[in-house]
Amino acid sequence: MTSSTVFDRAFTDAWIRRFAASVAATQQELTALDQAAGDGDFGSNLGSGLTSSLRLLDEAPDGDPADASVPLTVTATAFLDSVGGTSGPMFGLLFQRMATAVQEAGPALTTAALSTGTRDGLEVIQRVGEATEGDKTLVDALAPAAEALGGCAADVLPDAALALAAEGAWVGVRNTALLRARRGRASYIGDRASGVPDPGAVGIGLLFASARGGVSELRPLLAELPPHEPV
Amino acid sequence: MAPYFARAAESLVSDALEGFARAHPGLVEHVPEGGFVRALHTSPARRVGLLSGGGSGHEPLHIGFVGAGMLDAACPGMVFSSPHNRQVFTASMAVAREDGVLHLVKNYTGDKINFGIAAERLADEGIAVARVLVDDDVASESEDIAVGRRGTGGAVLVEKILGAAADEGTGLLDLADLGTRLAGRCRSIAVASAAHTAPGDGARAFDIPVGQLEFGVGIHGERANRTVVQEPLDSLLDTMAESLLGSLPLERGESVIGLVNGLGAVTGLELYAIARELGRVLDTNGVELRRSLVGHYVTALDMRGFSLTLLSADDAVVNWFDAPAQTAAWCR
Repeated sequence: MTSSTVFDRAFTDAWIRRFAASVAATQQELTALDQAAGDGDFGSNLGSGLTSSLRLLDEAPDGDPADASVPLTVTATAFLDSVGGTSGPMFGLLFQRMATAVQEAGPALTTAALSTGTRDGLEVIQRVGEATEGDKTLVDALAPAAEALGGCAADVLPDAALALAAEGAWVGVRNTALLRARRGRASYIGDRASGVPDPGAVGIGLLFASARGGVSELRPLLAELPPHEPV
Repeated sequence: MAPYFARAAESLVSDALEGFARAHPGLVEHVPEGGFVRALHTSPARRVGLLSGGGSGHEPLHIGFVGAGMLDAACPGMVFSSPHNRQVFTASMAVAREDGVLHLVKNYTGDKINFGIAAERLADEGIAVARVLVDDDVASESEDIAVGRRGTGGAVLVEKILGAAADEGTGLLDLADLGTRLAGRCRSIAVASAAHTAPGDGARAFDIPVGQLEFGVGIHGERANRTVVQEPLDSLLDTMAESLLGSLPLERGESVIGLVNGLGAVTGLELYAIARELGRVLDTNGVELRRSLVGHYVTALDMRGFSLTLLSADDAVVNWFDAPAQTAAWCR
């Protein structure tokens, strides 16, 4: 991408579609990670949320092509209404807060709106899940992503800002492998989950990395994760 | 092993909800696409919608307490599973009044998260929402258990009293404060001599040897943290009441509302014998039993056991308890 990219509805639409492709392509890895620490349904929950989201995107009425918030709103609804478990709907809350921030700043996606939306999403997810950094949840990836976005200067374009967020998120993902779960389902098995990155955090990493990269660029990121054998 | 009376284990919850609505056509409406049961008639003086929910398998909780004077709606999940946030969100949108909606949530991680997600969505829609967390089970009271006490039988008493207070036009924050104070002055303890059986194949969740009791069971068929020899009922009640009186704590001269609750497979005959012993222990301790409920209110499928709940009750609380209510399962 170049600095001439337009950050309109087509940009966020393509971002969500790349995220869906990334999750579809890494479903086995996500399921294996979740089987090591949870009940193994995270990969399919995330996948089914994105399948509904793509269906809604295809059906979404034509609107202002400059309005970048539409695909985020649609994805929020898909995750909040149709995904089981608790991690999936948490992604819905993040998309909802991103959509709200983009609507308020809109119509185009801006780095400032991404920063606000991600920070608000992090705040609401922490409030609902009562999780803090270090609890081995998706918060461990979302917090550094929000921090990276918050640190961006005003002239950093959204695609570059999202790439920085992805870098931050991946540092967080790798850290979760070193943590013992205190919240979420993985907390029930205690030390047995050590060494395994949190699948929700990986999902957040995939989300931000998908803003720019395709599946082929995500493979090396997944490959560098610590080994995770189902216990 | 005795299988359940069901068309299929998978359809048991939805079939029961359909039957429940059919059985109480003047009281409730089942909204299957929204995943909730709502009251047909509630007081026009209410300014706040009251909503609860949780896993199924605890009938009559919560659907049996939907109606005039108690809940505006309830969202049942699958057996022992939280309702989806979509159910809570949709039901809340349906019953919210000018001062918003109050969520009555039993303290379980899944329930808290799903009600919490719904609350954030409601806030996003501009609907005022507050929560009362019911956490009455003393068996799960420990410094080692970060998630705190579980919510059990106390939910019924909180639903009744808040329903009456809501009917007086009490606002959202005052209702939430009242609910939090009630929950703080309410404690329960439960024992079981046999685990529940699974709706799928009728298998016992776990075995308890004859002559032993699980002391401190919850309402989801989990084992208690200790197994004790089954003493005669009077000694057992002494031990159970002691844990409640100590945890509240209750002083001589104070008064309570008591709930003697069957967990599913204990007989009505036994429940009244238990009520006798509860009355005796409270007399001995100088605590006045102002009102009693005896029956199956918050069950754990067909667990053979019972719970005791004590709620510290002043005149105002007793008056709210006595206020009229018309629901499928509230009968006083």
